[in-house]
Amino acid sequence: MRLRRFLVLRMIQLVPVLLVVVVLNFVLIHLAPGDVALAMAGENPDPVYMAAIRERFGLDKPLHVQLLTYIARIAQGDLGDSFRSRRPVTETLLERVPATLLLVATALAFSSLLGTIVGTWIARRAGGGLDVWVSGLAVASYSVPVFWLGLMLILFLAIRVPVFPPSGMMSVTGVAPGLARWLDILHHLVLPALALSTVWFGQYVRIARSSVLQVLSEDFVTTARAIGYPERQVLFGHVLPNAMLPVVTVLGLQLGLVLAGAVLTETVFAWPGLGQLVYESILARDTPLIVGSYVVMGVCVVAASLLVDLVYAALDPRVEL
Amino acid sequence: MTGRYPSQVGDRVRTVAGLLVLVLLLVTMSGSRSLAAPATGPATLVVPISVDARTLNPNWQADTGGYHPSSNIHCHLVAMDWGVVKGTPVYGDLADSWTADAAGRVYTFRLRRNARFHDGRPVTSADVKYTYDTIIEKRYPLRAYLADVKEIRTPDPATVVIELNGPDAAFVPMLGIASNWFGKILPKHLYEGKEWPTADVNARPVGCGAFKFVEWARGSSFTLEANPDHHMGRPKIDRLVFRIIPDPNVAYAEFMAGRMPYLPFDYTPPYAEVATKLMKDPSMDVVFTPSIYSRDFYLNLRREPLNNPKVRRAIAHALDRRAMNQLAFYGLWKPSWNAGIDALPAFLNKNARYPDANRKLAEDLLDEAGLRRGPDGFRFKISVTNYPVTDGRVMAEVAVQQLRRVGIDARWDQYDPQTWFTRLREGNFDISTYFVRYGPDPDAYREHFGTGQARNFMGYSNPELDRTLDEARRSSDPAKRLPLYAKVQEMLVRDMPYINMFTERKISLVRKGWTGFSAQESGYNKSMTWFGYANVAPPR
Repeated sequence: MRLRRFLVLRMIQLVPVLLVVVVLNFVLIHLAPGDVALAMAGENPDPVYMAAIRERFGLDKPLHVQLLTYIARIAQGDLGDSFRSRRPVTETLLERVPATLLLVATALAFSSLLGTIVGTWIARRAGGGLDVWVSGLAVASYSVPVFWLGLMLILFLAIRVPVFPPSGMMSVTGVAPGLARWLDILHHLVLPALALSTVWFGQYVRIARSSVLQVLSEDFVTTARAIGYPERQVLFGHVLPNAMLPVVTVLGLQLGLVLAGAVLTETVFAWPGLGQLVYESILARDTPLIVGSYVVMGVCVVAASLLVDLVYAALDPRVEL
Repeated sequence: MTGRYPSQVGDRVRTVAGLLVLVLLLVTMSGSRSLAAPATGPATLVVPISVDARTLNPNWQADTGGYHPSSNIHCHLVAMDWGVVKGTPVYGDLADSWTADAAGRVYTFRLRRNARFHDGRPVTSADVKYTYDTIIEKRYPLRAYLADVKEIRTPDPATVVIELNGPDAAFVPMLGIASNWFGKILPKHLYEGKEWPTADVNARPVGCGAFKFVEWARGSSFTLEANPDHHMGRPKIDRLVFRIIPDPNVAYAEFMAGRMPYLPFDYTPPYAEVATKLMKDPSMDVVFTPSIYSRDFYLNLRREPLNNPKVRRAIAHALDRRAMNQLAFYGLWKPSWNAGIDALPAFLNKNARYPDANRKLAEDLLDEAGLRRGPDGFRFKISVTNYPVTDGRVMAEVAVQQLRRVGIDARWDQYDPQTWFTRLREGNFDISTYFVRYGPDPDAYREHFGTGQARNFMGYSNPELDRTLDEARRSSDPAKRLPLYAKVQEMLVRDMPYINMFTERKISLVRKGWTGFSAQESGYNKSMTWFGYANVAPPR
């Protein structure tokens, strides 16, 4: 009963969040110079053609009228049609979501698991030489710009030593469907997933390390050790569940950004995902596609934070829903 | 107990790491096989393009990504490619030949009788009329080139007559250059009664071009296959794949990794590597394609102090083309001092010449204009922005330094393409890099320098120049046009609304043995637009 009330409350919270997302993005796009009519007319624009485009899309109306019309449409579950391709926004977004999910989920799983393991591992050797080195590397990997790392990976692992394809999601020639196609996609996935997870990996190492370190100094750990519990049980049964809360927070934040967090990586690796689509739409001032993307991303953020709250409650008995 | 734990964890880490390495090896080996195995069977050409198409009917909107596939799927009445720099301003695609009446007002096109759409239906004059009439009626982008059309007649299925309101010697060549982007001839039987932007046939286009549509993996690639019944003969490659690669560094990496045989000039390979490494590489040809475009600085004549002719002249003296060529282009480009272009020598007035670099003269002129150096060493502030392409960017970067040396406090402002273009259209800039297109017919000057014309961002207005351009356009006699365009160039160098710096030099990379790309001479006059690949042949 309590859980249901909690879920209903969160669903209600979704409404103002999405409203802010829509209004903010709608206004920001309209503040940017240029509009879709200019993008469509090219460099030799015909004023009558541009006026017809603006009239067709209602861009000739005052901003608040455009905004209210759009909100009314969204309220009915319709994200509208793209200005440029004239295809439904929902259909366009859904086409791109699987590619982004594959990339980001792989990177997220890889970086969070490995980062947490490494962070826990060095926390037990805090202050030692290994800790200094691994912590330093973690900070470096966290600080490196993902597009630069991507280009370096391409340079070394696709050109100098050509073991992985430099870009794309699958070979455009001669791959049969079935297992061969999946292996081909995995082969293309390695470099972008490696770039993205390297950057995120450092974050998890740092968080897991400091969190585990803090819990290790708690009295209950000393007590558990004094009682004579095996070290493995102390670590997995008592330390890790308590140390996981900050890790889950970061994971939740990144899970929320799962659809938005890979724009640069997708652009560098020509990965046909949502990030690339949003980037192109912004350059073309394709308002329905931009705002539609942000609405979907907003829903993702809210859903992820809901999930984090649920996991918190499961991990920490002190947290009540 | 604690002593045992690290070794257990270590074992697990080693196991997990081992498994990961195994998976990676499997994936690598599977991929290596596909990389190592050369494409057998059909000859496939993979070409990178920087942006996805909006639709596959580019007639109703500007569509940078769409020009590539659609120029190969569709055909055009007339076409033009880089053969223009060797003297071919236009040639027939659907049109087998054409004639003009004595006044240059009525053009009669004879169509090829063997032209068919991909669904087998013949291409007739009715399709041409339907396409052009719709463009004119809906004011789609090609209308800018058809604005003077009075009527289009189709006396028989193989004849199109286009009557203009007045004589226009530039009509067919300008239609040729526009075909690179717009004016794809659409099948009337599939489009009639439908709105072009939403027509279902856009998703599986049926054209009359050298390649048939196969698949569009949105955001990823287009696949086309050779049209064996094409009116100019079957293409020499079997499959044409366009891969969407937004980042130029990655496209370059793909080419260097041997995954595609051609890096089009839009990607501009790094100048330093071209100059120091690639030109010596025996596995590739570095193709330098001359251009009908120059790269220039546009000066906003509405703004102080650029509205002062002395200041504009001083800026011309401050800009050092030779130094800029070394710094920006590693000496690979060709400086230009004229208001025309070497690639189109017929109309070039070599006597109309921009001043050479001379810092002292620049400083003297600025002093004369009353703009003396202040306590901070600078005379006035100015913003330099750039045409958002690689060459435009590097030119602006160097120009800022050269202007600062003569005491002009120049600042480099960069914008995204839409913002930049909007600012230029609104006259909201000081100096910007841009281009002037001088062909295929010299009437192209009008678009850049005629009062109120589309690319006259400088706010330049010279009634004498407008009259001269109109007079030249109305005449079809080259002997009469020549002195008129020479006069136009004199006026431009005198008034200096723009400063021509370089003839654009397009740099493409082609793997040895591949021929017929539109950027190569072997592709001139038969590529059917700059984006056409019908004539490309793999190594024997």
